[in-house]
Amino acid sequence: METYQIYNLTSAVLFVIGIGGVFAARHFIRKIIATIIMGGGVFLSFVSFAERDALTFADPVPHALVITGIVVAVASAAFALALARRIYQLTGEESFTNDK
Amino acid sequence: MSVLIDGLLAILAIYLALQSLLAPRLIKSVFLFFAFGLALALAWVRLGAVDVAITEAAIASGFLGVLFLDALRDFSPAFPAKQKNPEAAHNVLVKNNTKSLLLSRIPLGLGLGLFLLIALEAVWKTPEGGGLTAAAEAFLPESGVEHPVTAVLLNFRAYDTWLEIGVILMGLLAIFAVGGIKVYRKPNMAAQDPMLRQVIMFFTPVLFLFGAFLLYFGKTGPGGAFQAAVLWGAIGILLHLGGKSIIEEIPRWLRQLILTVGILFFLVLGFLFVAGGNALFEYPRAYAGLLILIIETLAAISIAAALTAIFANLNQMKEDPNETESIN
Amino acid sequence: MTIHELITVILLVVGCFFFLAGTLGVLRFPDLFSRLHALTKADNLGLGFIAAGMAVYIASPWAALKIFFIWLFTLLASSTSCYLIARFQKEQEQTKNGKEGE
Repeated sequence: METYQIYNLTSAVLFVIGIGGVFAARHFIRKIIATIIMGGGVFLSFVSFAERDALTFADPVPHALVITGIVVAVASAAFALALARRIYQLTGEESFTNDK
Repeated sequence: MSVLIDGLLAILAIYLALQSLLAPRLIKSVFLFFAFGLALALAWVRLGAVDVAITEAAIASGFLGVLFLDALRDFSPAFPAKQKNPEAAHNVLVKNNTKSLLLSRIPLGLGLGLFLLIALEAVWKTPEGGGLTAAAEAFLPESGVEHPVTAVLLNFRAYDTWLEIGVILMGLLAIFAVGGIKVYRKPNMAAQDPMLRQVIMFFTPVLFLFGAFLLYFGKTGPGGAFQAAVLWGAIGILLHLGGKSIIEEIPRWLRQLILTVGILFFLVLGFLFVAGGNALFEYPRAYAGLLILIIETLAAISIAAALTAIFANLNQMKEDPNETESIN
Repeated sequence: MTIHELITVILLVVGCFFFLAGTLGVLRFPDLFSRLHALTKADNLGLGFIAAGMAVYIASPWAALKIFFIWLFTLLASSTSCYLIARFQKEQEQTKNGKEGE
């Protein structure tokens, strides 16, 4: 078993954990964390394929895409956080479901 | 041996991801999220992607974790000291959850299991494409830099990077548009606390220097605009937490200029190339290295200012102590 | 195994031991202050040993200097954050006591 294959399989598991969290987590912050974990899984699969295609160095295109992607994911998560805090301030709700 | 380390790291990452979603208390899940980001950064070092590791540790774990921690003040009005019996509260929480979600949980679990199988099969059987390594290697001497990732980011795929700076700016504008987040009392710590002041005074130049080093080093090795930008943004956040919000104290026109200079310079440069008969970001070969350095510097300044402004907008503090009484 | 590698291994093992001790302290100590004590003291010592082991392993003066600076900055950052956390906790306790006294 090669290095990239381990991380490949990990990336699939992380993505599924994240998608499960998006559905099952109730609190806004946990939902946002779940989306970041989903993104982490996607990025991990990209970088592990870059490792597979390495010649003298690993494939730089997925690396660049992942760096771009991380920054975009963080910007959107910051926006989501601002929305969550605004919702909490206006309504006092901390999740979408209101059965307590 | 290497399989053992990678396997342990993979298990650690999966465990931390699960725990950060399942932890009973919110503060615990935020700290586990920090740890998850660092485990992922280690995984990227193992995969030979040092640039990605620095970015992950700095932005996704550091900056975002700080934002989460800041948001926790909203969501935990009573700090954990007030909870007399956390175990009992935890049990009540779990019982409620299973009760109301039992119906939706079974199909969700089945669907996720099926999805996991499909995803595992998909990544296991991805055909060998060969990737773009050979192309990147062949054109590396023409890019003006020696590090392949920087060459891709700022030369071959400069369009992506340009739009990405725009996305950060859009995020900032969207956060401005949301507006009206709970305001807390300003602790005014730096003035009272000699130790904090000394540390801020020590770390500001060090962070600046290290960011500049990473920026310049991106030409030949791991590093570059984003990593430098996060370190410079950290200066802004540190000063903001110390009670001196630089992004709000400078004049409005200067703030707007700093926030947009990266994307604007990129844009003007691109259109100059188009006017000269080249493609959008096709640098003249003799000046490519210099141009990339200038673009990276300006982009780093813009991104750092945007990150500082995002934090400053989410963590507004006032001198007025009236509002805090209701919170405690 | 050369003498270099032997020293490296010994330093790394000692460093890992201190990390283990610090982690044990964080998990088992009763209150925040003693946990902070375990975390900052034992872990920084462990990090110092690991950094020393790495410096011996690389055996280049420039890299050793860089590793030393990494250790120094980590020390500074961790002691400052330890101080801030402890002060925050103390303030919380003081306001709590003050409210109960009223």
